[in-house]
Amino acid sequence: MKILYFARISEELGKNEELLLIKNKIRIIDVINILKNKNKKYDLVFKKISNIKFAINCEYATKNDYITDNDELAIFPPVTGG
Amino acid sequence: MKIYFQKKDFNLSKELSNFSRKNKKVGSIISFVGKVRPFNGNNKLESMEIDCYKKMALHQTNKIIDILISKGGVVDYQVIHRFGKLVPSENIILILVASEHRKEGFFFIEKLIKCFKSKITFWKKEFYFDSSSWLKSQK
Repeated sequence: MKILYFARISEELGKNEELLLIKNKIRIIDVINILKNKNKKYDLVFKKISNIKFAINCEYATKNDYITDNDELAIFPPVTGG
Repeated sequence: MKIYFQKKDFNLSKELSNFSRKNKKVGSIISFVGKVRPFNGNNKLESMEIDCYKKMALHQTNKIIDILISKGGVVDYQVIHRFGKLVPSENIILILVASEHRKEGFFFIEKLIKCFKSKITFWKKEFYFDSSSWLKSQK
């Protein structure tokens, strides 16, 4: 799957996007846990996810929603446009 | 009925004049322009960086506008939201709305701007002279 990062999260991770291969559908929270296990930087950024938003293919999603390898997952802080 | 997310500035007079010429049979045309404030509290701004997830922003804006249009009265609209680096007093957003009566126009602008602050995927980072800060959601 393609994972996109925006704003503070992209800045803190030092990347805008990355690919993660998954075989079966999993929940967003499972993706977060996979990322947290990668290294300390991810662990720190995703330590508190209550203030992080998720979207699957441009639709808002919750941490318990399922995602497949063909989906695009976006991870970002609450928006501040306008 | 157009939505633009772009780096470049817009010319308010030109956009309003073109929009007005296009919508001759309506009773109301309202324009809203959001600008970069020179101060945030005691912090003097040097610049602002706006990040955006363009594809989702377009999808979400279309969804919200479809709902607003379905309420009736709005005949035409145009939305421009900028991203990238901006400095104080520069334009951030332009919303133009043509409607049968002013009430629907003001409602459209108020609801849409609220969605830009709660759902539509743009993020502002302010740069002061000795620090910087991502803005917190006003939701």
